[in-house]
Amino acid sequence: MADLGFYKMHALIIDDFENFRGTLYKMLMDLGIGNVDSAASGEEALRYCKTRNYDLILCDNNLGKGKSGQQVLEELRSTDNPCAESLFILVSAESSKSIIMAAYDYEPDAYLAKPITPKALDQRLNRLFEQRSELKEVLAAQKAGDDALAIKLCNDLVAQGSRYTNSCQKILGQLYLKQNNLPAAEELYRTVLDNRELEWAQLGMVKTRLAQKDLLGAQQWLENILQSNPLCMKAYDLKAELFKLQNNTEGLQEVLQKATDLSPLSILRQQELGAVAQQNNDLLTAANALKRAVKLGEHSCFDKADVHSLFAQATIDLFSIDKELAKPLVRDAVACAVNMEDKFGKNNLRKAESLLLESQLQVCAGDQRRAQDALVSAQSALGSSKDESALPVQIEMVRALRLLGRTNEAQECLAELLHRYAANEQQLQKLDVLLDEPRSEKNKLMVAEINKKGIAHYNAKDFAAAADAFKTALQKLPNHVGLRLNYVQALIDKLKTGFDVSLSEKIQQTFTKTTAIISQQHPQFQRYRQLNDVYNSLVRAHEKQQRG
Amino acid sequence: MEPRSTPQHSDQDYDQMPIDFSFVLASSVHDMKNSLGMLLNTLSAMVEASPPKDAQQAKLFSTLEYEAARINGELVQLLSLYKMDEKTLAILIDEHHVIDIIEEQIARNYALLTSRDISVEVDCDSDLAWYFDSELLGGVLNNLVVNCARYCRERLLISASEDNGYLCISVADDGQGYPETMLLGPAPQASVSFNSGNTRLGLLFARKVLSLHKSKRGQGYMTIENGGPLGGGVLKLHLP
Repeated sequence: MADLGFYKMHALIIDDFENFRGTLYKMLMDLGIGNVDSAASGEEALRYCKTRNYDLILCDNNLGKGKSGQQVLEELRSTDNPCAESLFILVSAESSKSIIMAAYDYEPDAYLAKPITPKALDQRLNRLFEQRSELKEVLAAQKAGDDALAIKLCNDLVAQGSRYTNSCQKILGQLYLKQNNLPAAEELYRTVLDNRELEWAQLGMVKTRLAQKDLLGAQQWLENILQSNPLCMKAYDLKAELFKLQNNTEGLQEVLQKATDLSPLSILRQQELGAVAQQNNDLLTAANALKRAVKLGEHSCFDKADVHSLFAQATIDLFSIDKELAKPLVRDAVACAVNMEDKFGKNNLRKAESLLLESQLQVCAGDQRRAQDALVSAQSALGSSKDESALPVQIEMVRALRLLGRTNEAQECLAELLHRYAANEQQLQKLDVLLDEPRSEKNKLMVAEINKKGIAHYNAKDFAAAADAFKTALQKLPNHVGLRLNYVQALIDKLKTGFDVSLSEKIQQTFTKTTAIISQQHPQFQRYRQLNDVYNSLVRAHEKQQRG
Repeated sequence: MEPRSTPQHSDQDYDQMPIDFSFVLASSVHDMKNSLGMLLNTLSAMVEASPPKDAQQAKLFSTLEYEAARINGELVQLLSLYKMDEKTLAILIDEHHVIDIIEEQIARNYALLTSRDISVEVDCDSDLAWYFDSELLGGVLNNLVVNCARYCRERLLISASEDNGYLCISVADDGQGYPETMLLGPAPQASVSFNSGNTRLGLLFARKVLSLHKSKRGQGYMTIENGGPLGGGVLKLHLP
């Protein structure tokens, strides 16, 4: 056996059990590894990894409190540090399959099942380092960013009939895709697939089709994969990519829902589900997915402040259409809003945002005094900044003032913002979220188009399609009374064709929201009253029928 | 005084609730695996703190390790079978070197094999590569090695080669051979018998894993024969 130079190597053991660290330490020393460090937690390990380059990291997946092994791996591979390319072995007491399902983009070099015996570790390490040593130059070229050289070296190894041809082909496929050399990628995957239908090559084919903008082709490959393996999470992720390219947000939500049902532990999928459900105005799905994303973010390098504020906002929005549905989420949302500064660093804007979200959530929790206190603190934290970066927080301020019933102050604040940004299309688009009629050109156009589309569906008596059209605009313009009434009218006409409880609930929710934003002076107030009457009589007729 | 909150389910509700036994079993298997992991850790710490004084003590320790490893193997199989039944076991077929998976099982059971003075011969071209789920097939092969270590006298032969478009891994021993009932071809599931002391969970697991390996040519299967190259039984795994 070739000398792999174990004596020069530096290894790191990560396990929360002292016994186990001791056992592994002895095994590695007996194998002749030169230096072995150990860490009791993922956090401690990551500190070590900032200071030196380890050749080998042996990490238990279940580390008790704090980060999991998978999260340690994700942080090492996705951030800039000396151990981004270290050989990483994930140790676990159970089958590796459940870890693979939860993983998103980052895979360890190997999985090792407990119990670990000295001989088994010896055999595995020799195998892995032999492979590393054969692919050493390829990896070096990749690291140096010389893709052309890496491709040449891989092709040389394949031509020599290397023992690691399979690994070389995987790397080659990635490099071709990265370089956008799609004919080469396609040929490579075809060659592999002619021999055997291997999943990684099928997935590579999907990526090639997506890059070629052949969406139908990509879809056919994806259906093939999912038919033979309905648990292939990478196929779901690519299906999500496909829906994004098609701008199909409903399909995107559906596939993310399916993926998170199968494997709820992936934070990135939960974050995406929350964001797209929010965009689709499905607030219940959004708030619940975001709640899970915040929870999964506790120890993850993928946690983001935006996800926290989106969770708080989704809960507040949900409360405005249905108090009962929002209730179970409010406590977590308050905690999430309050912790934002501690988690993501202190600054005045973040402080104001966190207080404003808290203030609105306290209204949801029924605590007016705390709500008012938080608002006052927010006002002093925000001050009177004229900087554009303050706009999102100022918008939040208007929302909070409205929810707390301080309508005049809200109006003054909004008027001032509209005045300041009267000539700024970009910022006007953001302000439209607060307005009945949009001010930005883009959103004016959108309303006109959507109304045209929705009304065409409505006149063709396709009420479901009409409702869908109006609904998509409502997320961007939640305070647009005309759109909301168009939406509710389409829903009511659908209800007339057959009574359906969940549809009726949706209508009730829309009325709740409309009641909160419409004033008696509004030009469409009369229409609102009429629609409300029609709906109520439909409900009464249905109830009578049920009893009779 | 605060009113006492009423529990969501009264005991009567629990009375009526059907037990999803496979789920209960799967979660308790999970717990058992964790405990077993601790047990194995503690055992190895103990051996380290007070190394065996003589051959007899060493043998006792190795028996402990062997039995614990056997329970561990059975639990892994149970969990995998449960997941197969629930259709939540993902199968990951890729190209692997056959020699690696064979050597891995021998390494895993090194202590057991040496303590029983069993010599293992391997006959496999080191460049032979094939398509399989290495974790699942490794589990099957590990069971076979552990089982043979129990029933063979002193020799074990593991060979692998391509045969008519299929990979054939055969495990032969110099024991008394397999009982007549096992030679009758693929046993139906009903043959899992609790009376014989051998529930044949291993065979059920092996057949399931093999049948998950499919290609255009067909699917994997297993054959059992007596009068093998070492005089005892031979069990062959065939993979398309």
